[in-house]
Amino acid sequence: MDLIESYREELQLIRKPWTRAWVGAVVSALILLPFYAPQHLTYIATIICIYAVGVQGQNILIGYTGQISFGQAGFLAIGAYTFGHLIRVGIPWPLALLGAGITAGLFGLIVGFPSLRLKGPYLAIATMGFGIAVYQIFANSELLSGGRMGLAIPKISPIFGISKITFNYYFNFAIALLFTLASYNIISSYMGRAFIAIRDNDIAAEVVGVNLTRYKLLSFAISSFYTGVQGGLYSLLIGHLEPNMFTFMETITLFVAVIIGGLASVEGSIMGAAFVILVPQLLSSYRELVPVIFGVTILIILIFEPMGLSGRWMKTRLYLRNWPFR
Amino acid sequence: MRFRSFLIVLALVSLYPLGVFAAGVAGVTDTEVVVGVTTPLSGPAALWGVTGQGMKAWADYVNDQGGVNGRKIKVVLKDDAYNPTRALANLQEMKGEAFAVCGLLGTAILNASKDFFQENKIPLITAYGDVRIWAALPREKLEYVFIAYPDYEDEAEYLTTYGMKKLDSKKLALFYQNDDYGKMALSGIKKALEAMPGKAELVSAVPYEVTERALGTHALKLKESGADTLLVYTTPTHGALILKEIAKLAYKPKVLTTFTLGDPIMYKVAGEVWEGTYIALPGNSGVPGSEANSDRVADILKKYDPKIAGKEYLALFGAVSMMHFVEGLKHAGKELTPASLIKGMEKIKDWKPEGIGAPVTYAPDRRHGVNASRMSRATDGKHVPLEEFTIFKPRF
Repeated sequence: MDLIESYREELQLIRKPWTRAWVGAVVSALILLPFYAPQHLTYIATIICIYAVGVQGQNILIGYTGQISFGQAGFLAIGAYTFGHLIRVGIPWPLALLGAGITAGLFGLIVGFPSLRLKGPYLAIATMGFGIAVYQIFANSELLSGGRMGLAIPKISPIFGISKITFNYYFNFAIALLFTLASYNIISSYMGRAFIAIRDNDIAAEVVGVNLTRYKLLSFAISSFYTGVQGGLYSLLIGHLEPNMFTFMETITLFVAVIIGGLASVEGSIMGAAFVILVPQLLSSYRELVPVIFGVTILIILIFEPMGLSGRWMKTRLYLRNWPFR
Repeated sequence: MRFRSFLIVLALVSLYPLGVFAAGVAGVTDTEVVVGVTTPLSGPAALWGVTGQGMKAWADYVNDQGGVNGRKIKVVLKDDAYNPTRALANLQEMKGEAFAVCGLLGTAILNASKDFFQENKIPLITAYGDVRIWAALPREKLEYVFIAYPDYEDEAEYLTTYGMKKLDSKKLALFYQNDDYGKMALSGIKKALEAMPGKAELVSAVPYEVTERALGTHALKLKESGADTLLVYTTPTHGALILKEIAKLAYKPKVLTTFTLGDPIMYKVAGEVWEGTYIALPGNSGVPGSEANSDRVADILKKYDPKIAGKEYLALFGAVSMMHFVEGLKHAGKELTPASLIKGMEKIKDWKPEGIGAPVTYAPDRRHGVNASRMSRATDGKHVPLEEFTIFKPRF
């Protein structure tokens, strides 16, 4: 789509002035959101920010490295509970959040080992087993899950006298922005190129000097770190944890977000997160038809736009750029 | 001139929000009051969403009778798929739109939203889930909350005591879901045994996981325990499965179950093995098929929403919640505000909604309106009550 003339240009996050303008406009609109949107929309935007972090992580693994995983709910639970226990013993939230990410990342590293030998459906089954095992461990351990009343998470008090909803939005928006910038950096780095090379052809990647063991494990660790942080943010927003919040359905939600948003696309991850949160919410008055409409919408998108929402977005931009010529 | 016009426009714009607030209370007009319901209409607990349909049908009935104090009740029904995030989003959306929220469902959802009602000054009229969530809250956070739901532990204690006193149970076994719900039953049974030392003993407690379906081994363990009485704290599906399994082994203990298996639909799920089971019925609702008042209300609900047919038990559960709201509205009077509704709810004393269930009482220092159970027995396709309600101490 673009003609890149130098490495410096290649590393630039945004190259075209027009792109700068609309990205600036979107970010400004998001910053000002609590001022013009109703509170419930601000709340929904907060959830989208939280999910966007996890979906980006999964896209690094599934979309960029080509490693299929169905263990997301496990990493989410590990992140959420680590954050919950740390903050309850008085660890400040930034460290607790980091702890949530690192713990989930370490488990990601362990789960990543089968990926060195397994591919496709076999890897999917192995990771799915991990997700289910984590759920069972939390469900059966009162010490970990907080017992019959669940685990209550103390919330952060809003600062500058702003409302809770506005504070939660800015807090999660800032973190989502940070992780989005980190994702772009990872993808543009040697590491990101190594991930893509592994996805396209792992044997060829090894031939040209990519250390498969290191980068496959790294991809698992990074994606799990993202998902762990999502778990921490989620627990902070909800203020309560119980194992039933991390069933296989949560894995499916994150997986659908990656596919619908578009594989190997950071913007797609954000769009996918928005899709899985917004669509059921907007349809919530249609009662029992919600899953049917949700499912059919996914089918339609995948049939007519296999590259997901980001693919449609890319085509729209190309069309507008070349308009009126086709 | 332009500057003056600008000032006028500015003044009007700045007055606009004042006008909105001065207009009155969210969700209330002279002719309408809006009540929000977020419930699982899809997802794993979709069947329980029938409670929402029951609420809506009863509100429609009340509207046809002329409404309450000249106001019709508008029910805004939203699906949360049993997911706390979505339930919270729905509640946020209802802010400014709904006057009160009715029939919140699911322990995780209650836990996630327990601070919402006090913070936003929105009354919550009944919720279905572990009442210990509310019992653990400080009194000042319960100002806007009114709950009519049995305590799991009190109910288990009642079932055990009933077994020991009326059924001469000596050896008890418990088959329970390995989570908070099941564990509260275990603790209730232990309390009852401690209260009557030497009368009976718990010889076995067999847990299962909610994902399990093959319960043959569990049934064998229960049979080998030699228990003469089996207490069942499960989902309806698992309750039916374990009864079928023990029947295959020709093991025939007396079976006592919790109110979550109180829907006579259990006859369809479990088949003939359900006959003779003892079921604790909850004090906050009735059982269609065995009580004239419940049947009368169920007929009204089916008239307003024919889809309720076959799911009368849960629909009645929801309709009773709407009756609590309506009763509160009646006592609140014409000037409707959250404060007047709270005052109205607090005036409810020894009241039986349409003659159904145990008497309900709310008060400034009491938010647990009813905590009661009574034994019934599955007989010829019906759950027939065996005695009057046993009233437990309100928990909060």
